[in-house]
Amino acid sequence: MPNEMTIEENVLYIEALSHALRDEMRHDPSVMLMGQDIAGHGGAFKITKGFLDEFGPQRVRNTPIAESGTIGIATGAAILGQRPVIEMQFADFISCGFNQLVNVAAKMYWRTECAVPLVIRMPGGGGMGAGAFHSQNVESWFLHSPGLKVVAPAFSDDAYRLLRSAIKDPNPVIYFEHKFLYRRERTDLKGTEIKDRVVGEANVRRSGKDLTSISWGWMTHRVLEAAEIMAAEGVEIEVIDLPVLSPLDLDPILQSIEKTEHVAITHEATRTCGFGAELAARISDEAIWNLDGPVTRITYPDSPSPFNKKLEADRIPSVDVICDGWRQALQS
Amino acid sequence: MDQPANSSTSNTGAPPEVSPAAAWLDTGSDHALREMHAYMRLTREWDLRYEKMFKTGALSKWYSSVGNEAATVAAASAIEKGDALVSLHRDAGAILRHYVDIESLIPEIFPSNMNLIRQPLGGDSRERLFRLACQMLGRQHGYSAGHERSYHYNHMEPEHGLIHIGMISHLGSMIPVAAGAALSFQQQKSDRVAINFIGEGATSTGDFHEGLNIASVWKLPFILIIENNHWAFSTPTSQQYACDNLASRAIGYGMPGVEVDGNDPIAMHQVMQEAVQRARSGEGPTLVEAHVGRHRGHSEGDDSLDQVPGDELKGYLENDPMDLIETRLVNGGIVSRAWLEEIREKCAALIMEVVDEAMSMPEPEPNSDRSIHAE
Ligand SMILES: Cc1ncc(C[n+]2csc(CCOP(=O)(O)OP(=O)(O)O)c2C)c(N)n1
Ligand SMILES: [Mg+2]
Repeated sequence: MPNEMTIEENVLYIEALSHALRDEMRHDPSVMLMGQDIAGHGGAFKITKGFLDEFGPQRVRNTPIAESGTIGIATGAAILGQRPVIEMQFADFISCGFNQLVNVAAKMYWRTECAVPLVIRMPGGGGMGAGAFHSQNVESWFLHSPGLKVVAPAFSDDAYRLLRSAIKDPNPVIYFEHKFLYRRERTDLKGTEIKDRVVGEANVRRSGKDLTSISWGWMTHRVLEAAEIMAAEGVEIEVIDLPVLSPLDLDPILQSIEKTEHVAITHEATRTCGFGAELAARISDEAIWNLDGPVTRITYPDSPSPFNKKLEADRIPSVDVICDGWRQALQS
Repeated sequence: MDQPANSSTSNTGAPPEVSPAAAWLDTGSDHALREMHAYMRLTREWDLRYEKMFKTGALSKWYSSVGNEAATVAAASAIEKGDALVSLHRDAGAILRHYVDIESLIPEIFPSNMNLIRQPLGGDSRERLFRLACQMLGRQHGYSAGHERSYHYNHMEPEHGLIHIGMISHLGSMIPVAAGAALSFQQQKSDRVAINFIGEGATSTGDFHEGLNIASVWKLPFILIIENNHWAFSTPTSQQYACDNLASRAIGYGMPGVEVDGNDPIAMHQVMQEAVQRARSGEGPTLVEAHVGRHRGHSEGDDSLDQVPGDELKGYLENDPMDLIETRLVNGGIVSRAWLEEIREKCAALIMEVVDEAMSMPEPEPNSDRSIHAE
């Protein structure tokens, strides 16, 4: 089967996802899609529009509203050689399939040495006034479950590359795709090499000498904007984006801190036990003597997402809030 | 319609072919009874051995499958090479039936002209039995190398068409997973099937509903066998469900549901054969409700059997499937009591030998870095 790569300029994040799925399905006949309304309708976000026609009903399957059953069935099929990719209609609904994921799929390899090549695509995140059950950032639930890999790309090229890697990976991968970025983010797909595993990645998206910023998903875009503002004030932020949260590539973070001596983590997820807490702990373990101030966290408060957009916006770290957080970190 | 058409290779519209075995099984022929009996006896001795070890403290936990042997042995007698077995905590009968060629371990257990119900998988039965014992005892040579308890493991031998997916503790969870094994067969356009067991207690879980529903909508080659022993730990069925029986739930999923006496391996095997035929020919899943007795407490050493009223318990013990089949064999003039005793001794000796050997095997070395990811 061809292993062709889409090479295209100025590709929307959401199109990058479609390209990755289509290219991987053309390449590997054991890849199959399951999800609610993904077949004729093309999914709630139309990412699989046209897939039914190209790949047929055997490989593009509408499921009933049954997250647990779907993840369980995908796990069983994966053990015996299929490569299912499940679309959660919204990331939030994964809670209904939680047990299948963290107890059956995640632990399968450790328990039995049977690989579970499974991807769950998770349209997540807020910013659209979608309320408490269509806005969440639940990466921590899965980072706390050994056996899963967790991906959260911020850019179209990473989204494309990493979705293909996730499908090739012989392990269950939770793939967070940010709804706010779907039709806002655009990058060129340049044909970057596609690995056949998801490995830790920490990418320096902007270099600076004064403070290391760590973020992923939508927040990386806000962080980059904030870094522009700080640059005008003469403060150079080093922006590290984590398209892969687990496995974690800590080394680039530690190297950056050695240079900047200051670090701030920005995430859209709620604060307590968010991934920022784990990063802070790891940085303390490995680099506390290189720090010239406490590890700063800029996060959503410990609150569900309100429906009203103003109320929601007040909770999501804004460019201003991020700049303030950095200024404070640099003062201490 | 977006749903996949059924993908069986053999769905020609013609009535399913009944394998030659089914005809003579109807009568519970001499050979069928002898074959069922042999594996049931092996299973009974397997359990009795571990029950004893539990009492002496050599084992920390044991869930007995005493009383389930007829249902489980007969169910696994209906599958073949390449089919998937997904088992639970009282399914030693299905595992032993699937793994072991008893004739290779106990020569002359069957007459030379024996008409076998199912062919063994091939491969080394003794080694499988030994590794199974190691698994029960948490030894390095067990199927999970000591990382998982008793029946919580997978074992695959692709070269012999052995596909066995074990349980996790969370009851009900394996139903969708087993249906997923069936989905993989459908995707590969193979006529293999997946069978899965569940206690009646776990039919109250959401995964029972979700798994069966999707299996039926997608016409998966899947058979779910409820081992209804009428108790879940200490809870009787009257506190578990309000319908008359569980087989009729199948109506709600648009699949056949069959109630069967799980103490009668011949009846059970017939039901299973029909369900397997149906699945192989692309007609979809079947729900089988096998009534069995509660012979032991929930787990060895607890007092949950005290909850079972005396008369009810008496009924179960009087209908011990092991006694029933032996009486049938003797009354039918098929074998003598002395022969049955000889087989019992041989099975017990074999199990004793294998378990002793497993006991002498090394425990795993500490390895907190065991990989959580496939490479
Ligand atoms: C989801 C879940 N809840 C609770 C338990 C604890 N538990 C283990 S076995 C059992 C009873 C099971 O009864 P049943 O399904 O009828 O099987 P049986 O033991 O009678 O064969 C319970 C409550 C469990 N293992 N999983
Ligand atoms: Mg029960």
